[in-house]
Amino acid sequence: MVTTHATDTRTKLIRIFTFLGGIYFFLYFVLPESAVASLGMKAHHEQISNGFIVIGAMALGLGLYNIVRAHGARVVFQRSGWFNSLALLIGLVAMIGATSAQWIENLRNTRDIRSVQVLGEFATRIVEDAKSPPTDRVVPPFAERVSALVRYGEDRVSLIESHTNVSVDAGTNGASSALVGEVRDRIATTRVKLGELKTVSWDQPSDESLSRLTQFSQDAAKLASSYSIIKRSHDAHSTSQKVYDFLFDGLFNQLGSAMFALLGVYIAAAAYRAFRVRTIESGLMMTAAVIVMLGQISFGKEIYEHMPSIRQWLLEVPNSAAFRAIRLGAGVAGLMLAIRMWLSIESKSFSSGRK
Amino acid sequence: MSGLEHITPGILVVLVIAGIILYRELKRAQGGYHHFIRRIPGVDAVEGAVGRCAELGRPVVFTTALTDVGPVLYACLGVLHAVARKVAQYKLKLIVPQYSPEAMALVEDTVREAYRDVGRGSSFDPDGIKFLSSEQFAFASGYMGLMHREKAGAAFMFGAFAAEALVLAEAGQQVGARQVAASVSPEQVAFFICTCDYTLIGEELFGASAYLSREPVQVATLAAQDRLKLLFLVLIVVGVLFATLQVWYPSLAAWMPHHLLSADWSSLSW
Repeated sequence: MVTTHATDTRTKLIRIFTFLGGIYFFLYFVLPESAVASLGMKAHHEQISNGFIVIGAMALGLGLYNIVRAHGARVVFQRSGWFNSLALLIGLVAMIGATSAQWIENLRNTRDIRSVQVLGEFATRIVEDAKSPPTDRVVPPFAERVSALVRYGEDRVSLIESHTNVSVDAGTNGASSALVGEVRDRIATTRVKLGELKTVSWDQPSDESLSRLTQFSQDAAKLASSYSIIKRSHDAHSTSQKVYDFLFDGLFNQLGSAMFALLGVYIAAAAYRAFRVRTIESGLMMTAAVIVMLGQISFGKEIYEHMPSIRQWLLEVPNSAAFRAIRLGAGVAGLMLAIRMWLSIESKSFSSGRK
Repeated sequence: MSGLEHITPGILVVLVIAGIILYRELKRAQGGYHHFIRRIPGVDAVEGAVGRCAELGRPVVFTTALTDVGPVLYACLGVLHAVARKVAQYKLKLIVPQYSPEAMALVEDTVREAYRDVGRGSSFDPDGIKFLSSEQFAFASGYMGLMHREKAGAAFMFGAFAAEALVLAEAGQQVGARQVAASVSPEQVAFFICTCDYTLIGEELFGASAYLSREPVQVATLAAQDRLKLLFLVLIVVGVLFATLQVWYPSLAAWMPHHLLSADWSSLSW
């Protein structure tokens, strides 16, 4: 009795949410843009759309859980086909591992590159704050900020140098020697500029000090740009990337292409079966197919000069008409079913058994 | 409006008419009116194919291929329900290879309900609902392997298909399965006609469920879509007549309502 009540409540909830979801998109589809905005729907549309992505992600998680549960049980209890399940689970773990490692490495590299990019931005901000009139915003004293900039700059330059050396030690890993040389030149230049910044008195901002900071900002931006290239180039040859490339491009895509290639053989086999003329319909089909094939090749024109035009007519007139009829019929049927789904007018097959 | 095209007056009129027709047919069906459904040999073959599996002692395979959650899947589930009932009655093995994780949950529920409907709920084997892959050709390869290992006696391919259609159908041919296919993708229909014993074309897929179950709601929906198609047919004929007559009488253009029906009112002020 309790179960029946819970099932009824669940069914009602599903129907309410289906109807509300449907009416939201229906109104969004029907109402003019100004009405959508005045009802406040436009402001929340992106959030609602993101909600659907979140639900999709949850469904993906559910699918993953189902795979592990179903195939894991088969391996543990050694049911028939357990070896295939094991291969699937190993593939799943390997792919998740490779993708996660690559994702973590990308995250780390993006963070390193960003930490170098902010060096130039920090210098620019100091200059802008010094030039702008005083505001309510509290900022540390000018000298203190420049001192922090120098300390942070030295730290970042050391980091870039060590990463560049690692890249070179690993055989440059794809980064050209010209690029490495360029990064080293920029490291040297930035070090010189940092040294110059140390020698100036920073009690009060002067034209000279601001000019030096602007110059440093430009040099730091160039260094960040070169570092970004060398870092990405290094990443492209990292172990995690290689494993990912092997699994995805080397194995997965190639197997997919192999399956696709089977189509060539299957089309020939299917055509052979279809072209055995046993009925008027298959005779018509074969005649049309022969005309289309002959019209496609230059030899067809040698047999009959209007063959390409006949082929074109067959494809554009009877073929298109049939395609449109199928699409129209399927579209109308889909529309009716969609209305029925929206209003939860369920058939016995899907509803009565659950009550 | 990003991501969503806006309605035109013509589409709104069609939607309202579709709603009215559906409501009317459902009311008639509730009142006991019996709609006539013409014979569809492909759907009749469903029972025969399952019966053949019972004779041979081979499993039945039903796939919705690339179909995602939506009206097409809903139509396929109606047929799956009918097939699963028969399979349960004949105590056969049913295998439903899956492409979409979202659809898998609905498929599993439908098969379980079908087994319960015929009083064989305990015979339902969740392992029969197999998730293969959500990548097109990995799914096709998994399906091929499955057909060869299980030596299916019948294969039902209902739903949306793309380039993998022929690979799936050929796998069934190789093991000598009786095959019934139904696709809303016109490009794949030719492949199915060549390789399957029976092929349902386009909207017949939506009619199959009603034909098998004869449930008033489904049959009324089928009748409603036929009425709407009839309306479209009349509109097409009227449109062709108008367009043809306009060649001789250009002033007829002023009488044609297409400017009004296709007007963009998304920018109207509210």
